[in-house]
Amino acid sequence: MRGNSFISGALRGLIVLIYITVFSFTLHAGEYQLVIAKGNTAYSSGKYQEAIKAYTSLTSQGLESADLYYNLGNSFYKLNDIPHAILWYERAKRLDPGNEDINFNLNVANSKITDKIDPLPEFFLKRWLKAVSDQLPLDLWAKAGIAFLIVALLLYALYLASRVLLIRKLGFWTGSVTLFLSIVFLFFAWSSYLSLNSDPSAVILNPTVTVKSSPDEKSTDIFVIHEGCKVQLVDHIGNWYEIRIANGSVGWIGQDNFEKI
Amino acid sequence: MRFSVNCKLFQVYNNIYMVFRRFFGVVGFLAVSAACFAQDVTFQGAAKTIVTLGESFSLTYTLNSQGSDFRGPRLNGFDVISGPFSSTSSSIQSVNGRTTMSVRYSFQYILQANKEGTFDIPAATITVDRRTITSNTLTVKVLKNGAGQGGASQGQSQGSSQQQGNVQTSPNDVMLKAYVSNANPQQGEGITVTYKIFTKVPVSQIMFSKEPSFPGFWSQNLTKEKEKLQQYNQVIDGQQYIVADLRKYTLFPLKSGKLTIEPLELVCQAQIKRQTKARTGDPFFDDFFNDSFFNTSYTPVEKSLRASPLVINVRPLPSTGVPEDFAGAVGNFSFRTELDKTSIKANEAINLKCVVSGEGNLQLIDKLNVTFPPDFETYDPKVSNDIRSSEKGVSGSQVFEYLIIPRKPGKFNLKPISFSFYDLKKMKYVTLTSPAYTIDVEKGTGEAANVTYTGTNHEEIKYIGSDIRHIKNQSFALSVNGEYFFGSLPFFLWIILPLLVFIIFIVLFKKFSVRRSDVILMKNLRATKVARKRLRKAELYLKEQKQEEFYIEISQTLWGYLGDKFSLPIAELSIETVRQTLINKELGEEIIQNFIDTLNNTDYARFAPGEKSINMERIYNEALAVISRIERELR
Repeated sequence: MRGNSFISGALRGLIVLIYITVFSFTLHAGEYQLVIAKGNTAYSSGKYQEAIKAYTSLTSQGLESADLYYNLGNSFYKLNDIPHAILWYERAKRLDPGNEDINFNLNVANSKITDKIDPLPEFFLKRWLKAVSDQLPLDLWAKAGIAFLIVALLLYALYLASRVLLIRKLGFWTGSVTLFLSIVFLFFAWSSYLSLNSDPSAVILNPTVTVKSSPDEKSTDIFVIHEGCKVQLVDHIGNWYEIRIANGSVGWIGQDNFEKI
Repeated sequence: MRFSVNCKLFQVYNNIYMVFRRFFGVVGFLAVSAACFAQDVTFQGAAKTIVTLGESFSLTYTLNSQGSDFRGPRLNGFDVISGPFSSTSSSIQSVNGRTTMSVRYSFQYILQANKEGTFDIPAATITVDRRTITSNTLTVKVLKNGAGQGGASQGQSQGSSQQQGNVQTSPNDVMLKAYVSNANPQQGEGITVTYKIFTKVPVSQIMFSKEPSFPGFWSQNLTKEKEKLQQYNQVIDGQQYIVADLRKYTLFPLKSGKLTIEPLELVCQAQIKRQTKARTGDPFFDDFFNDSFFNTSYTPVEKSLRASPLVINVRPLPSTGVPEDFAGAVGNFSFRTELDKTSIKANEAINLKCVVSGEGNLQLIDKLNVTFPPDFETYDPKVSNDIRSSEKGVSGSQVFEYLIIPRKPGKFNLKPISFSFYDLKKMKYVTLTSPAYTIDVEKGTGEAANVTYTGTNHEEIKYIGSDIRHIKNQSFALSVNGEYFFGSLPFFLWIILPLLVFIIFIVLFKKFSVRRSDVILMKNLRATKVARKRLRKAELYLKEQKQEEFYIEISQTLWGYLGDKFSLPIAELSIETVRQTLINKELGEEIIQNFIDTLNNTDYARFAPGEKSINMERIYNEALAVISRIERELR
């Protein structure tokens, strides 16, 4: 009797947890949806400035969504503001790296900028790992991992409870496979969480930026990059940021030249 | 060009002439050698002694015999315009029965003075009868334009009817002038350049030695080749001139800036009025011939004329507001398009006619910016024009005919065709646009006949343009910036809680299963004990001779022992189940039978009449024995 009440208590806790999970991380409030719809209508009728205004009213409230960023990128692109389009596409890509539309439009925008940088080849294992982990957004990986964990535990319970040999065997093996997958999914979630929070990148917004050899206006000019170029922020001293571009070149630029993704 | 052609022609003539001369020379020599044997051979050169700079004049060498191997002088300070031409004339005189024959060879150069100063023309040589004969040397003074006109020919001028007289040409007698309608046009604006000859004296044999060139212009000659020159009178500086438009050009500047037009140059014969002097001394005749009617003769004087170069300052077109499709059309145009069919079958042809008409540089509009749907087969347009050029400008129309053959059925939109030009009057760019056409193409019938595909009909997709993909239009969930499910408290709870539930489940499950297995074990262990206890009780009843209680106790002992020992529920207990259970436990048939007999005997004895005490004693022993035996067997 005591055990039963404990189980039912735990189940009630789970339900509450589901409720919290679903509603604390996504805001479906009608007010926001109205703003989105307003932006979408403005975009569709060619009023890109208005669309940007609507979308940014949401982003300035600290709200985010890969789709929202994507729409913003499109609006800037249509206004021929390629650097800002790239900035918002990159932001959208950060949240949903595997989204085909985002990647397509980002490529289109990137084809219009001045700089053509050949990226350094990555270690193949890292590349593969990234290719797989980019398939889903971070939180979907996490949720899939948890779902598989629960299924695995249920299957193990079946293995323990059943007296029929076939069910016990089946329960054990499928449970093991699901548990393994769950761990893999959580690993991917973890790795994309790491890449999300490490090495912040930025997009150059000034038409032409001269990269210096050290954080000093008088230091040697090393190379020149142009608006729309994506750089990795490595370090910073005061208003000076050490950047690394895709081909591995490193230098220093002032803070006012870029915006963080 | 013309000059060099002349030269070549002359060369041919000369060659033919040389052949003839050789042939006839021999004949002539045979015929007249006797007659002219004693004649003195003279070889003389003649030319003007004073010429003006740029004037062309002739240098003539005359030989009164037959000669060969003429070697001309080295001419310093002069350009040879043409020559040497050679010519022959012969005359036969018969006086008083005596026939004399004179032959005259002449070699003529047309020279032009190109430097100022005094120049010597060295002697020319010729071979006559294997003797080399040298001519006289000449001196020619070249003066600046207008410094001294009226050169006189030096030396002999025999043979011609000319006689030296007071030949006068003033520099203003004949003039060549260039007029431009607008010296400061816009780029692409048409201008007219007219070359006019002004003359006070009759002029004949106008030969253009150099046509004007118009670098940086598109030009069209407006003068027709065989048209007679229109003459009219004009008064300049109080002097009456006869004026004729020699050449007229329409020019369209192709670039901006200062453009220079190289002038027209010509050579002509000016008929200069000349007073003849009295030749006879006869008063009557003198009077008669000195009369203005008879005594006025004209001397042709060669004049070379050159108009001054024109400098045209072309203004560039405004650089602001240039339409994308602007291709240099300047003027005032209208634009019209015609599509002969808008609904046809595939593989049939459509004609698109675009007409640009108006005034301006129509000839320079050589293509239009037309884009057809990519599935259309198109050809280069047929361009035809109807252009009238006049002094007022160039007007007319330029027609572009496009032949289009749609190869695939469907509905196609033909984008509006635009034509841009710079309007000189409004001083701005104007873009004219045709309407957009929609062409309905139905499935054609003769597809196989026209299309010769080998294999399949598949085609690569043609990409016409590239653009970004559309926005996400459906509503989407928003989340708070930087907050992720991964790593949040619910995330960890979601991992920990199921694990916790699972652990609890395992613990509870273990506990239950342990307890259950305990009961079985206990029952098993307790079976003998209980049986013994019950037997002891039965023994007590035996001593007290309580039959009823005794039998109940024995029965319960046996059944209870089985139930406890083999964990069988009370409800399932029967003789059959007992037998089955015991067989399953692999007990001997004898023991099983023994046990069942005991059970049966107990029941039997309980209800049977007779010596109950003996029976009780026996049944007690039997039950004790069988339980002990099973205990032993199971061990």
